Amino acid sequence: MKVAFLVNDLQLSGGVGVVVQHARRLSLLPGWDVTLVLVREDEGPSWHGYEHLPDLHVRGREEAMADRFDVAVATWWETTFTLFEIPAGRHAYFVQSLEDRFYLEDQAERLGAALTLDLPVAFITEARWIAQLLGSWRPDAPCFVVRNGIDKEVFAPLERVTPAVAGPLRVLVEGSPTVWHKRVPEAIAAVGAMREPHEVTVVSGDRPALAGVVADRVLGPLSHREMADLYAEHHVVCKLSTVEGMAGPPLEGFHRGATCVVTPVTGHDEYVEHGYNALITDWDDLTGTARSLDLLARDRKLLHYLRSNALETARAWPDWGQSSQFMAAALTAIVRLPQPGPTVAAARLSSDLRSGLEVYQQRVSERADWHRRARRFERRLEAIRTSRGVRAALKVRHSWPVRTALRPLRPIKRRIMRQPR
Amino acid sequence: MPDWQERITLQTPPAILSEHELRYRLLAPLLASSAAWADLGCGNGVAPAAVLDGRWPARTVLVDLEAEAVAQAAARLGATDTVQLHGDLTDPDVLTRVGDALRAVEGERVVSCFEVVEHLATFSPLLEWAGELARDGVATFVLSVPNDAFWAIENPFHAARWGEGAFDELRRLLPAEQTLMRQVALTGSAMVGWDDAPESHELGVQVGGGTTVASHFIAAFGPRHRDVVREAVAVPAAQLEQRRWERQRESNLAVAEARVEALRAMEAERNEWRTYIHELERELGRPLSGVDPSQPAS
Repeated sequence: MKVAFLVNDLQLSGGVGVVVQHARRLSLLPGWDVTLVLVREDEGPSWHGYEHLPDLHVRGREEAMADRFDVAVATWWETTFTLFEIPAGRHAYFVQSLEDRFYLEDQAERLGAALTLDLPVAFITEARWIAQLLGSWRPDAPCFVVRNGIDKEVFAPLERVTPAVAGPLRVLVEGSPTVWHKRVPEAIAAVGAMREPHEVTVVSGDRPALAGVVADRVLGPLSHREMADLYAEHHVVCKLSTVEGMAGPPLEGFHRGATCVVTPVTGHDEYVEHGYNALITDWDDLTGTARSLDLLARDRKLLHYLRSNALETARAWPDWGQSSQFMAAALTAIVRLPQPGPTVAAARLSSDLRSGLEVYQQRVSERADWHRRARRFERRLEAIRTSRGVRAALKVRHSWPVRTALRPLRPIKRRIMRQPR
Repeated sequence: MPDWQERITLQTPPAILSEHELRYRLLAPLLASSAAWADLGCGNGVAPAAVLDGRWPARTVLVDLEAEAVAQAAARLGATDTVQLHGDLTDPDVLTRVGDALRAVEGERVVSCFEVVEHLATFSPLLEWAGELARDGVATFVLSVPNDAFWAIENPFHAARWGEGAFDELRRLLPAEQTLMRQVALTGSAMVGWDDAPESHELGVQVGGGTTVASHFIAAFGPRHRDVVREAVAVPAAQLEQRRWERQRESNLAVAEARVEALRAMEAERNEWRTYIHELERELGRPLSGVDPSQPAS
């Protein structure tokens, strides 16, 4: 079986890490030959550990286009641009999240990412909620679920959780603060609003973006092994994401004896059970989140109950070996099944494009309306600014008697200028 | 401390035995009208022999990792045309032999595969093979996997972790024409007369619904997947046996722990002696006994 996984690059990210894990393990199966196709130039630190594997190759787009595969798999919405250029018996799409949600409403990528789900491909996804949605949107296309495994050698489940009966609650916040939907600043603010004694560690691959963050420790980037050690030092992972396929960090924390306080983000129900192994907090409720954390800081029996059950949940979670067996079975099934026909996909694509354009037109019209209203204010301001009295005042404002007279107002001006907009 | 009983025997606790028997009851109408039956992971054949009452096809293909278990199952079932195969179900050759043995007989064919998938180092060859036979209309399959995830059971004999999520991954790989079931545990009690003979009671029990937790997940697929029958079974709890078994286990565990402690104490004592002897050997300028001089001291 010749498989090509298309990735933008091999830079360190959770999504690429999942693809590399599958590629590595599939390449070890007898008769499997796996290629990671880089559809754009590599720019930063990369995933490694595959170089010694004889049946796992890394190729550029041009090279891959000269080859032929049994199945080519897009793994991120932008990689679908190259998917049909790769000669393959079947084309598939590994959907790790609904990636249009990564973009704000007025970003063009939002529509682009959504439209890629209309392509005539077979789907593989990592979460059941995505499979359910894809099943309802694209009943014509086969859809398989392959949940992400956990590297049980790195995130080895603890033998048992040691009760934390005293001391501050140790909270871990992880994620990139510049990715809006990860809501890392909000998580840090929620921990900061706790009343009970606590220690907070913030860890991110994007360390410079954490400048100015108030935390006991600011760390990162860390290797997986360092992360595993860090989870084991903490009681709680606080994660307030608004968009996820199936968040890995709380589950990794479970393996290392940490419970979590999380929003009911998509995919959480794959392993989070409120009041059993974690606490679920509401959207945008930083005070409520802080109170949940306070509860865990005060009620050490509850904390231990949640942590113990989190560890038990982790024990039952599949490892990468099992996950990649499902990936192998899904790819084999995709090769066996016919490729979804282009007609249904094209109809769906046209329909979604039309809806997308309507939404876009509505936004443009809304913006034009706001622009008109703003212009009205601007004209009035301009009239005031050009009036004789204001012009005279502006003229004398830099003269020394006026500056001397206004000096007592300077602190007020400074305060106004400092206020956030 | 759990007691892992992966092989169903006559000594298996009644609750587990009845659970296993109920899965074979699913097959009863299928087997009654089939020409061939393959039981993958047949074990000793205790459960089907107990519940199917001889109503199985003449061509019976019994497959297990252990040849002895297959032979026992064959003797217990006593089918007229038995094919005994022992081998690993991850091996495509073994699967091909099972398929050939089934195809050799014309008519309906049934394959049962209970509590097997979780033991396989790789289950994709079995799924692929089963899916192909079912899609081609060669055989109807009924398979089960345990819900280990719910209880977070770490069974040392299970190579994969099964639960709601994993079963969802599995069933999407099976032919779309399928019947899915949850097997759920029951608890109960009965009143019986003081000195009377054994009594029979008709039981009515409502099970299922949103919060139902499965002990096992069952999938039937293939041409006759709808013909499986759902039933419930209640058996008296063998509390006398259960108590003996639990006490025996606790007693054995206590003895084992005591032995471990004794061994630890002996090891500590020997280490003290060794240290003392090494001190003497050093004073006498002799090589240290039990120490390889070519190896660096740890």
